[in-house]
Amino acid sequence: MAINFKDGVILGADSRTTTGAYIANRVTDKLTQVHDTIWCCRSGSAADTQAVADIVHYHLGMYGITNDEAPTTQTAAAIFQELCYDNKDQLSAGMIIAGYDHRHGGQVYSIPLGGSLHKQAYAIGGSGSTYIYGYCDANWKEGMTEEEGVNFVKGALREAIRWDGSSGGVIRMVVLTAKGAVRHLYLPHVDYKGPGVDSVKI
Amino acid sequence: MTSIGTGYDLSNSVFSPDGRNFQVEYASKAVESGGTAIGIRCKDGVVLALEKLVTSKLLKPGANKRISTVDRNMGVVSSGLTPDGRHFVSRARDEAAQWRSLYKAPIPTAALANRMGSYVQAYTLYSSVRPFGVTAIIGGWDSEVEVPVDGQVGAGPAVGAGGKEEGEKHGGPYLYMIEPSGLYWGYYGAATGKGRQAAKSELEKLDLAAGNLTLEEGVKEAARIIYVAHEDSKDKEFELEMTWVSSLSGPTKGRHEEVPKKLREEAERLAKKSLEGDDDEDDKPEAEKMEE
Amino acid sequence: MPGFDFSNHNRNAALHAQGVPLPKATSTGTTIVGCLYDGGVVIAADTRATSGPIVADKNCEKLHYISPQIWCAGAGTAADTEFTTALISSNLELHALSTGRTPRVVTCMTLLKQHLFRYQGHIGAYLVVAGVDPTGAHLFTVHAHGSTDKLPYVTMGSGSLAAMSVFETQWKRSLSRDDAVKLCADAIQAGIFNDLGSGSNVDVAVITAEKTTLMRNYITPNVREKKQRNYRFERGTTAVLAEKVIKREEISKYVTVHELSDESVAGAAEKMDVDL
Repeated sequence: MAINFKDGVILGADSRTTTGAYIANRVTDKLTQVHDTIWCCRSGSAADTQAVADIVHYHLGMYGITNDEAPTTQTAAAIFQELCYDNKDQLSAGMIIAGYDHRHGGQVYSIPLGGSLHKQAYAIGGSGSTYIYGYCDANWKEGMTEEEGVNFVKGALREAIRWDGSSGGVIRMVVLTAKGAVRHLYLPHVDYKGPGVDSVKI
Repeated sequence: MTSIGTGYDLSNSVFSPDGRNFQVEYASKAVESGGTAIGIRCKDGVVLALEKLVTSKLLKPGANKRISTVDRNMGVVSSGLTPDGRHFVSRARDEAAQWRSLYKAPIPTAALANRMGSYVQAYTLYSSVRPFGVTAIIGGWDSEVEVPVDGQVGAGPAVGAGGKEEGEKHGGPYLYMIEPSGLYWGYYGAATGKGRQAAKSELEKLDLAAGNLTLEEGVKEAARIIYVAHEDSKDKEFELEMTWVSSLSGPTKGRHEEVPKKLREEAERLAKKSLEGDDDEDDKPEAEKMEE
Repeated sequence: MPGFDFSNHNRNAALHAQGVPLPKATSTGTTIVGCLYDGGVVIAADTRATSGPIVADKNCEKLHYISPQIWCAGAGTAADTEFTTALISSNLELHALSTGRTPRVVTCMTLLKQHLFRYQGHIGAYLVVAGVDPTGAHLFTVHAHGSTDKLPYVTMGSGSLAAMSVFETQWKRSLSRDDAVKLCADAIQAGIFNDLGSGSNVDVAVITAEKTTLMRNYITPNVREKKQRNYRFERGTTAVLAEKVIKREEISKYVTVHELSDESVAGAAEKMDVDL
């Protein structure tokens, strides 16, 4: 998932990768950097999403060099969409793109399976997302502070991990603001007080 | 030109012993005899103007436009061999379309100039082709506000994006000129073709770098400069073709389009008037005069 | 008609639709592992190769050379792991030659994942990539579909669950070289003894910045016992009931001999040439 907040965007994800019933990786990093302050959340086939993210990473690197200007989140979203739409028959990739730049501030785009592009206030995706539509709708506020944003993402992912068997492990986050990218890591069970109840202050 | 006639001017991709490529220089000569074309980068837009020499009385006035739109927000005017100019425009349109299909956004003027510069330069390298017989002026307005990604659904948070830093300027009017060698620069004012010297000295008087000239003043100056540049070939008839591009909030709503007939005729009237006035008082800075 | 003939594909599809199972490629039920430690990386593998229920090779090699400081442990389709690692090894050496630098483990991993992704999982290679390069020691897994993971300890193959149980209970941070080798060997033995697809011996490779040490058959927990009895029969154990000697001169009594003409001799000779 990824959200907009007062100073930028926050990306968050669990860390479980499965092959059938086996957890192939319990500390996966599903938050992937495609440029300095443009990141994505990957869901679906690990191979497909890694391949797509690698290609976008290449394109944005080239864009930055050839145009003497860092690519915008929109550019990243456009390239992701092109790849996901053109190859939709062969891909199972659900991507959420979130980025920050000084000109446009924070932005969140979602590209679900068919390859459409949605600009959203916040986006959730993956198998665990079905369990947290209600949570997110009930707790979402526009223009949250960083602390509120982190707690919103943490609370949502905790519920996703709690109810979805295919989600689990740790909660990873990336906060993108004018200051750059900052990583966070939380254990879902530590200080858990129930749905929607904030745990310790960050 | 010691090497002329010694074979070094017969092919592209051949340097003369003193390090020149004559084919490129001859291409520049072709441009020098073309109708004058100018571009002015004003504070709120760009004006492109062309002295279109009337080659036949049988041509319909106002038809056969020579300034082309390359993308919604960008125009190209060229002087030199007209068919070469058409090919240049065709390629520029392809480049703009290619950029759109990959990035789902309009191409920045600088990026188009860069790509076209590379394209033109490639025609100086091979013996199977000849260089472009045109110098082209590209004028465009890069959006200063956020444009949605082509095909995007939704608009993000109702309160707008977080962490935006105000005050940082982006986009605005841009003007580039590309020569037959592939050389290109960004300009405040650009002129090419037969009357370029006169036009350049007029452009220099405008102090465009200060960024005070408005688009409407620019249109009037452009018309006047084309008329001034035509002075040397007064015997020939010509048509004034003018286009402009402004910001989304300006008169063209971010589009590159023809200057409205009324405004153009008014500009032409003022241009003719100032030329008549020139006989009396010599070389008074025109910019001051225009401010009425 | 020029071009490919796809009629066999249609036939196979029809047979498959009628319930005929698809033929199976030789796959190695395998246990392979890898583990980073302070100063290098260790990978290990069992040595059993299977073809269906048959043990095809009791002491095969599953540790593949990529470059002097990069090695791969392979599971999945035997031919695919063999040829994929050989191909990437070759490309990486050319790359090293043209850049004049020692190859990096990430480069190897990227080459592998892009190759495998292109083949959409049809190349059944599941690999543990390990090595030391100027940027340090690295350990990756690459799955047949092209996904990769980067972890401090990894297991793959049919014995990966057994091996992972060893890592998950015994792994600790900042291991010594000997501890890492022991842990990997133990993990492989867990696969050998608890997974039907894995068996025989343990191969280990230790890669450090200085050198690579390949320890072939580091542990041999399945040495064949000496046979308790000798099953060779003495000469004359079988009684001779009758005996008849046929002389060469009399052979035509038993065999028809046919004289060949010169042309047909040449023809036969040519045919044999073709067979050779």
